[in-house]
Amino acid sequence: MNILYLLIPLALLLLGGAVWAFFWAVGSGQFDDMDTPAVRVIMDDDKRPPDDGVE
Amino acid sequence: MAAAEQCFHCALPIPANCDIRVEIGGTQQPVCCPGCKAVAELIRDSGLERYYDSRETPDPGAVRPPEDAGEWQVFDRDDMLAAFSTRQGDRAEASIYVGGMYCAACSWLIDSTLSTMTGIASADISPVTHRLRVTWNPAATGLGGILAALANLGYRPQPLAPDSTERPERGEQRAALKRLLVASLGMMQVMMFAVALYSGEFQGIDAKMERFLRLVSFIVTTPVVFYSARPFFAGAIRGIRARKPGMDLPVSIAIGSAYVASVYATYTNGPAVWYDSVTMFVFFLTVARYLEMRARHRSIDRSTALSSLLPNTATRIDGDARQLVAVSQLVAGDRVRVRAGESFPADGAIIDGVSSVDESLLTGESAPRQKSIGDTVVAGSINLDGVVDMHVEKTGVDTTLGMIGRLSERARYARPTFVNLADRIASYIVVAILVIAAVVATTWYVIDADRAFVITLSVLVVTCPCALALATPAAFAAAGSRLADLHLLVTNGNAIEMLSKATHVVFDKTGTLTRGAPEVVRTTVQDEHFIEADCLQIAAALEVASTHPIARAFVKHETALRASDLVVTVGAGVEGVIDGRRWKLGSADFVTEMPAPMPTGESDVATTQVFLGSERGVVGAFEIDDALRDDAHNTLKLIEKMGISTSLVSGDSEAPVNRIATTLGIGDARSGCSPDDKLATIRTLQKAGEVVVMVGDGINDAPVLAGADASIAPSHAASLAQSSADILMLGNLLQPIVTALRAARQTMRVVRQNLGWAIVYNIVAVPLAATGFVPPWLAAIGMSASSLIVVLNALRLSRFE
Repeated sequence: MNILYLLIPLALLLLGGAVWAFFWAVGSGQFDDMDTPAVRVIMDDDKRPPDDGVE
Repeated sequence: MAAAEQCFHCALPIPANCDIRVEIGGTQQPVCCPGCKAVAELIRDSGLERYYDSRETPDPGAVRPPEDAGEWQVFDRDDMLAAFSTRQGDRAEASIYVGGMYCAACSWLIDSTLSTMTGIASADISPVTHRLRVTWNPAATGLGGILAALANLGYRPQPLAPDSTERPERGEQRAALKRLLVASLGMMQVMMFAVALYSGEFQGIDAKMERFLRLVSFIVTTPVVFYSARPFFAGAIRGIRARKPGMDLPVSIAIGSAYVASVYATYTNGPAVWYDSVTMFVFFLTVARYLEMRARHRSIDRSTALSSLLPNTATRIDGDARQLVAVSQLVAGDRVRVRAGESFPADGAIIDGVSSVDESLLTGESAPRQKSIGDTVVAGSINLDGVVDMHVEKTGVDTTLGMIGRLSERARYARPTFVNLADRIASYIVVAILVIAAVVATTWYVIDADRAFVITLSVLVVTCPCALALATPAAFAAAGSRLADLHLLVTNGNAIEMLSKATHVVFDKTGTLTRGAPEVVRTTVQDEHFIEADCLQIAAALEVASTHPIARAFVKHETALRASDLVVTVGAGVEGVIDGRRWKLGSADFVTEMPAPMPTGESDVATTQVFLGSERGVVGAFEIDDALRDDAHNTLKLIEKMGISTSLVSGDSEAPVNRIATTLGIGDARSGCSPDDKLATIRTLQKAGEVVVMVGDGINDAPVLAGADASIAPSHAASLAQSSADILMLGNLLQPIVTALRAARQTMRVVRQNLGWAIVYNIVAVPLAATGFVPPWLAAIGMSASSLIVVLNALRLSRFE
């Protein structure tokens, strides 16, 4: 069980990393709109590449 | 009338004499006007036809393009760019409010269209707040170009000043998310360590390992308490300072004391720690607050609400020069020209010209008002038929509109204080649990020190406040999503509880009980050569060109006739030639061309009278009235049946208000009310102990909507009214009010069942646990089961009909 004395602090470090990553994601605005992305992924599949379209 | 065929694009009924079609996906689809045709073709030609497959059915008219697309080039100017965007190198960022969008397909359409334009770096649009944040290179595309692209799609774009209130809202949302994440991750970790500690209690655990796990729990719990739970402590301190302690106080005491006790136990190697309860409690409370905040942000923020009632630009007259400027650049003393169909950009007085002005949104008065030189006009009202010059006296927040905005702000602040049921009960129970646990611990310590720890633990686990904390949020979330299916958007969670207690519903008249648009209710023919249908046809042909709201009543009617030489006389009527014969439609004076003896004073005439005549004299007369909504009768009957009384409070004059009240059987009707009067009416009712629900749509209703215990606004309401209301109802019916009232009662029944269950469970479980009959593992099962029952019970609401 002594391994726990190493693993738990490691888990805490990982936890800190996850929190930091999430804070960064929030700060860069990735969570500002929670509604559109869910729909956009369904609708966008046959969008033409920009160069191809009519100007 | 032709069959009620709907416009393929905007879903409005298609006028009978209109035969415009557009080919979409290989089929000819009917549309109602050239504007809709242009928009549909643009969407088709851009390869975005899928928009029509994926969108929800729009509210009729919501996406109908405005007749005047506006002059957007003015926004290409550098001073405009500076006023509406922030620059960073060759990138500019602007916020645009997109009026008329209503579902996710709209945001896809906008996004796809903008992404084909050159120079656009990113475009984020939220279907919830209707805001578009666009980053682009102004050298490649002007702001005007972006706005024009949106307008071409049929939306009503409105650039927002960069310092508008979006930022604090966004900040609040981000901070809440971070708090929620810290609380949830912390809760999960601490739970994990807690499982280890519990099972250690069974199987025996190394004292060193136990200390270690407690220490780790302490490390993880600390940020949860000091970061995630900070708003509760801050709220509690504010409450104490203001000498009005709210529900944050017991919550803080519970969190604080459990935390301090645990830290002390960790330090002194005491019998038990409560880190898991602390983090769990903080987590559930944070989830509840977060959901509530999301709902609140769904409503339109106030600064946008106010400015969206004003035009984007105004024509400033400077000597002989005319210049198009942004409305925010107007100052007192400017001379501004306002054309027919435009809204007034500021408060002021007319210095040239005559026109009728529609102030219905501001005053609730259904009939337009005649205004000439010297008369005052208010920002946000609509110039119907003439071209006028106005002298600007007040702009922005100093206008009548701005004052109504502030009044509604104050009204909301002064709402009767309300603490929701769950907070009230849950917080006290948490404190009680801690006290009981402490008593149990000391008692058993005296009786049998060996068993003290296990029993205290069982008591704490068995009474875990999860079920209590979940009782209300789970029910509100389920009810909220069900109501959204039923076309009701709840923007303030507490409204559900207030709605369930409602004893009195107050209605606005114009636009709420009535359709808000005039209709021909009676036709009388005074010349035996004609029948009713002829008169209506002639009138419809004459009114084709008019922008006056009364004209809309006629244009709806089918006509095969074509009128030529149409001349509109401002404030009087219209004349034109049909089949070689000259016709006049308008007021009695205008049609007979002599001061005809009008029946009596205007207040006695409940409806507006319009006359039709030719050279040979008067042929017919029409009564124009703002008709009741189809389901008004039924809705009011259902509300009365629920034991809720009703009132009518309107800014309109006495005669139309009384007539509507009599028709619908509303006993208590007040007319001629200013926004202040309306608010006072509601305050009186509230003082008498009534729980008041307000239903209204006008700007003048905004303060009352904000001040009532709960409020409902239709989705076509003025945006200021929407931002003041707790619930928005989509569609054109009143019926959803009844649904909302019934759903609210049902929801509160479920909340009460949930709380009742949690309390009964605790009352049974605590004595058993305290007397040592419940081992910790059984306690853990009991706690999970009770939470599960609460959630399942709440989910019943998602089947509400």
